[in-house]
Amino acid sequence: MAIKTVLCIEDDRFIGEMYVRSLKKAGYDVDWMVDGNDGLVAARNKHYDLILLDIMLPERRGSEILAALRGGKEDMIPDTRVIVMTNFDQDDESRAAMQHNADGYLIKAEITPKKLLSIIEKLNAPAS
Amino acid sequence: MAVDKQSEQPPAMIRNYWPRFKRYAVSLTILMQVVATLAIGLALIVAGVAIPTTQFWITLIAIFATCAGLNVILVTQLTTPLKDLTSALTHVSDEPNNITPPNPNARHFERDGFKPLLQLIYELASDKSELSEVEEEEKAELPTAALATAVNTTATGFVIMNAQKEISFANSKAPVHTTPEGKKVIDLVFDDDITLDDWLKDCEENAVHSDHAWLRVADKITGEEDRKIYDISASYQKGSEAEVVITLFERTNDYQPEDDDLDFIAFAAHELRGPITVIRGYLDVLSDELGSKLEDDQEELLNRLIVSANRLSSYVNNILNASRYDRRHLKVRLREDSIADIYDIINDDMQLRASSQNRMLSVEIPNNLPTVAADRGSIGEVLSNLIDNAIKYSNEGGLVNVTAAADGDFVKVSVTDHGIGMPSGVVSNLFHKFYRSHRSRETVAGTGIGLYICKAIVESHGGKIGVRSAEGEGSTFEFTLPAYSTVADKLIADKGSNESLIEHDESGWIKNHAMYRG
Repeated sequence: MAIKTVLCIEDDRFIGEMYVRSLKKAGYDVDWMVDGNDGLVAARNKHYDLILLDIMLPERRGSEILAALRGGKEDMIPDTRVIVMTNFDQDDESRAAMQHNADGYLIKAEITPKKLLSIIEKLNAPAS
Repeated sequence: MAVDKQSEQPPAMIRNYWPRFKRYAVSLTILMQVVATLAIGLALIVAGVAIPTTQFWITLIAIFATCAGLNVILVTQLTTPLKDLTSALTHVSDEPNNITPPNPNARHFERDGFKPLLQLIYELASDKSELSEVEEEEKAELPTAALATAVNTTATGFVIMNAQKEISFANSKAPVHTTPEGKKVIDLVFDDDITLDDWLKDCEENAVHSDHAWLRVADKITGEEDRKIYDISASYQKGSEAEVVITLFERTNDYQPEDDDLDFIAFAAHELRGPITVIRGYLDVLSDELGSKLEDDQEELLNRLIVSANRLSSYVNNILNASRYDRRHLKVRLREDSIADIYDIINDDMQLRASSQNRMLSVEIPNNLPTVAADRGSIGEVLSNLIDNAIKYSNEGGLVNVTAAADGDFVKVSVTDHGIGMPSGVVSNLFHKFYRSHRSRETVAGTGIGLYICKAIVESHGGKIGVRSAEGEGSTFEFTLPAYSTVADKLIADKGSNESLIEHDESGWIKNHAMYRG
């Protein structure tokens, strides 16, 4: 299933706009949430093909959102890919815990919009 | 009541010898003279040569007196050296006396050659007094109870090791813990090249007595609770009951604030990444969208912005990595990978960095090399740091070569520049944190942290990093990575994680493991 709809949960306005702009230009449907609570609600209420998840978020951290969506017995978003995007260097345990439930774990400072698009295309490739 | 006779006798004093000897010598001379004079007188009478008249006896007494006087003078003269020697000895004997010691510099001593004898006595005496001071120190009686109290109440840590290098004593302030096997272990994290163990080993092989000092040694790694920092002094005396004595002066309050700064650096680096993300992202967007509309020099300016933003991002990574490494938190995740694929990721960035600074970057990585066990991101950072350095330290228009080749169980990667090079004295310090070579301080900007982190990353892969350089000709930096086939079993056993490279030692610290090192 090709990725079409994207939820971006990112509190930094510049960074959020930057990714959203490029994703929209590339033809994706993008919703953008700036705090953790809204992000979790959105992810529960609507199906997305891909969630871009920041960690340091107001209200609810990215790690909590991921745990709420995938940490229980039932995976609430079985058909959704999750890419954790952060500038925060976590300690190894927390990082490993998140990686276990995510399809990617990227340092934002290393990921320009162009690189992000190419990574999403790679995610698409085996699925399509 | 029994009395100890010996204790009643006054002790024999050196100063008493000379007067007694002189009395004896003079008395003996006079007695001899009496005997001789009487014998001559009697012989003359018996032989009938002289008649024992009053005049005869007066003459005999006159002769006796004259001879006795002359002989006493003779004896006094002949025993003068003896007198001088005894008074010199009395002087150096520490006995109370009022004798004027003979002055070895007096002219008559110089003339008759007595001077060296006196000098020898005074020299021997001064040696002896030094010796006796030392002996007194060594034999200074230990107020054992007071000392024990002192050692256990002072803020200074004491550790004593016996000849088997076991800790035979450690006071309460010393950072020593006992293992489950009952062995005492000293907890210290040495950043220095010479650890306590290195020094002890060196002493064992090369020294009878040795001292060493370390500044700023912590008992735990950065970030752990109750961390203490010491200045340490250690002394080694071969064969002594206390062969090694280690004294630890706790200076946590002086050093801790600086270490907290390190925490701050790690935190600040995270903050910096936010704006860097935006700068790199929008530059990427702009160069895409403006690409065709830009004039030549404008495109070059945009490239410079991109290169600088990329660099800034690498430097932040270096700082974070160094901070992580210092906390022993740097981990690598090893997977099967090829040098060519790893380089491919950074190629665009590197080519842009080289061309925007008028350097040629030539990369020749054969496709048929064995695969390596590598953490892609970390080795990318190593390559990027080495190439960035090569660009910095080469000349305008210079060539930078990146090559790779199989080397036994390893793959060796080399980055060569043809720039300013380094004298050999500089080379050994290169991989230290914040070290920058002699000339580079003025001419090239940078943190001096890049090679430090390269070494940390390469060694945590089980590889080695080194440099060859000639001043004025350029430098070659080389690192090796283990071929994947040689470590695959271990990695698969660890389910692809790098845990086999990381060892938890007795105290629970994580340290880089030398498992794969030659």
